Amino acid sequence: MPVADHKKCTGCHICEIICSVHHHKTMNPKLAMVKVNSNWPWEDKVTICRQCRKPKCVEACPVDAIERVDGYLTIDQDKCTACLECVKACPFDGVVVSEITGKPILCDTCQGEYLCVSWCPAKVFTKVQGANF
Amino acid sequence: MSNNKYFGYAGKILTVDLGSSDYVVENTPFDLIINFMGGKGFGAKILYDGLKANCDPLSEDNIMVVATGPLTGTLMPASGHVTLSTKSPLTGVWLDSHCAGFLGPELKMAGYDAVIIKGKAKKPTVLVIKDDKISFEDGKDLWGKLIFESQELLAQKYGENCQFMCIGPAGERKARFANIVSGGRGFGRGGSGAVMGSKNLKAIVAEGTKGLNIYDFDGFMRMCKESYNELSVSPDTGGGRPKYGTNSIYSFMIEAGAHPVKNFQTGVFKEVRECNEDVLDRKYYKRHIACFSCPINCSKASRVDDGKYRGKFTEGPEYENMWSLGAQCGNSNIGSIIYGEHLCDEYGLDAISAGNVIGFTMECFEKGILSEKQIGFPANFGNDDAIIKFIEMMAKGEGIGELMSQGVRQMSKELGKGSEKFAMHVKGMELPAYDPRGAFGMGLAYATSDRGACHLRAWTLGAEVLDVQERMDPFATEFKAELVKTQQDFFAVIQSAVVCLFLNFGLTQRQITRCIQTLTGIKEWKTTEDILKIGERIYNLTRLFSMREGISRKDDTLPERLLKEPVNEGPTKGVVVDLDSMLDEYYLIRHWDKEGKPTKEKLAELGLDK
Repeated sequence: MPVADHKKCTGCHICEIICSVHHHKTMNPKLAMVKVNSNWPWEDKVTICRQCRKPKCVEACPVDAIERVDGYLTIDQDKCTACLECVKACPFDGVVVSEITGKPILCDTCQGEYLCVSWCPAKVFTKVQGANF
Repeated sequence: MSNNKYFGYAGKILTVDLGSSDYVVENTPFDLIINFMGGKGFGAKILYDGLKANCDPLSEDNIMVVATGPLTGTLMPASGHVTLSTKSPLTGVWLDSHCAGFLGPELKMAGYDAVIIKGKAKKPTVLVIKDDKISFEDGKDLWGKLIFESQELLAQKYGENCQFMCIGPAGERKARFANIVSGGRGFGRGGSGAVMGSKNLKAIVAEGTKGLNIYDFDGFMRMCKESYNELSVSPDTGGGRPKYGTNSIYSFMIEAGAHPVKNFQTGVFKEVRECNEDVLDRKYYKRHIACFSCPINCSKASRVDDGKYRGKFTEGPEYENMWSLGAQCGNSNIGSIIYGEHLCDEYGLDAISAGNVIGFTMECFEKGILSEKQIGFPANFGNDDAIIKFIEMMAKGEGIGELMSQGVRQMSKELGKGSEKFAMHVKGMELPAYDPRGAFGMGLAYATSDRGACHLRAWTLGAEVLDVQERMDPFATEFKAELVKTQQDFFAVIQSAVVCLFLNFGLTQRQITRCIQTLTGIKEWKTTEDILKIGERIYNLTRLFSMREGISRKDDTLPERLLKEPVNEGPTKGVVVDLDSMLDEYYLIRHWDKEGKPTKEKLAELGLDK
């Protein structure tokens, strides 16, 4: 599970770029499943899903759009009504909302490849195995 | 997904006419791409063809070209840049200015390789570009507001995910070295903010959701990975620069006597113990800031924790401003430098020119050319209160600040009394933070830079003072012409691929060329030589542009102080710059005649003879 240490983030957005490259074969940060929120000039805040074992977002979703697919929490974009209850429910502020569709997106860890973890030059992300949240 | 025709490019050029609030969107011409690549190159071609000679830079006839390049907004490291080309109101000649941060990628994601801005709006205007939707909105409420407040209001109105370019009160009142700010970064030099002000354009807002596609996916990904690795192991981009920012060179420059002090009167900065990169890192730097896609994070957020500037902050201060508001003014109070830089960003003034002008004014005061009555307060070197007051006066055009805001060339012209000899400018642009008497190559670099005294057209310090390139004797004239010419051509490529020049400290020309090739797949760009030819073409075209405005050998010179007045202490004691011999050789290598005019043969070779 990727966990972000905001203090280390320099705001380069490489995580977003590599995420869009991996999932969409195009360079477009707006498609990323991770988001860097600027608070210039002070600390940026990184939004990324931790893939909780006991996910509050699943409980909060009124239309049951969040399910585990191949072991990863995934939001069915057709079912989702963009009510954003999952965003409110997440205790880690970890739900990215797409600027294009207005719907939430969850990190799928690149199916275990964790590209943001390996590409981030500031080493913001750590892989936490078997975390109990 | 974008459906652009050429890989790496957004594929469209947006031309707006502020006078009629009209716009057209056209495909980016393939000829333009092949011959001029992007950024500075696009600007050079569009302005050379589109501007009449001798047009008033502050009239509605002037044009601004905001352009990105193929590498902008990609995974390529340090791809967050964007260029602005126009005719400079400070120099009256060619100007390209470059801004880091996030604006370039956003414009490109909106679908545009370039935005061409023509005409003059009837009232204060904000140009909003959101993908295909272009609108001209009322900027009346923002007019007169400081830049950071303006940007906050723009973010509230147009969304947190937008990027901006915005002028402040200095640009609105057309101060000749007004800048344009984007986030915490800026189009610094040459007065592009005044051009924007003259067009009644307060801000441009950009937001884009389109993506950029890659020609050779695996090849480009491999080159990006290689580039990140190379940058991380370079002693510069992987060592000093991430830690200290651009100030990583500060102590080296002081040691070499290449850091000018008190308006270039000396190269010895006695207060260096309290004002250097270690003090900055220990006491002021609070966090590292990176631009889009950049692992170097040379920018810092700084805050003053005690003393009379407690609570003041800035994104910086970077090396140039540490000098301009520091040693140039005999000032070692870092708090005042941080506050001064913040004020320059708030009002929209180029902090290099601002500090240079203040140093000049202080020398005029100490020499009795300007009196306390004329200035309003004593303005000796080292007076940090005076520095802060001067910045506000220049921005608002108050008292002596009105004259100061026209730059040292104009100021010395009006003051006379020998002040021309120490007005530190080339072609009207104020010198930055390197003394050519401690590194001759920089003398030639300043004299032949296409936009006037600038350190970003060639930067010879890597060879003359630092050990990042093959070492050269800083006081020798040999080989400097070749070094300057090669750098000017290659830097023009970087500024047209539109990435950060700092890549030059970690990557080879070959690697950068490979990145461009794998991304775009353009067959005409086979070798590094093909790419360098584009750089040479651009540099010759900006020369032709400025020649049309009357520039010749007489202007490719340095302030008299550097040619005739040696420093009498420190490592550069007794040295003056031997410019003429370097200049002769430079013209020869460039195939320019003795007056600095490109030969017919050279122009034909570059396809610029038509």
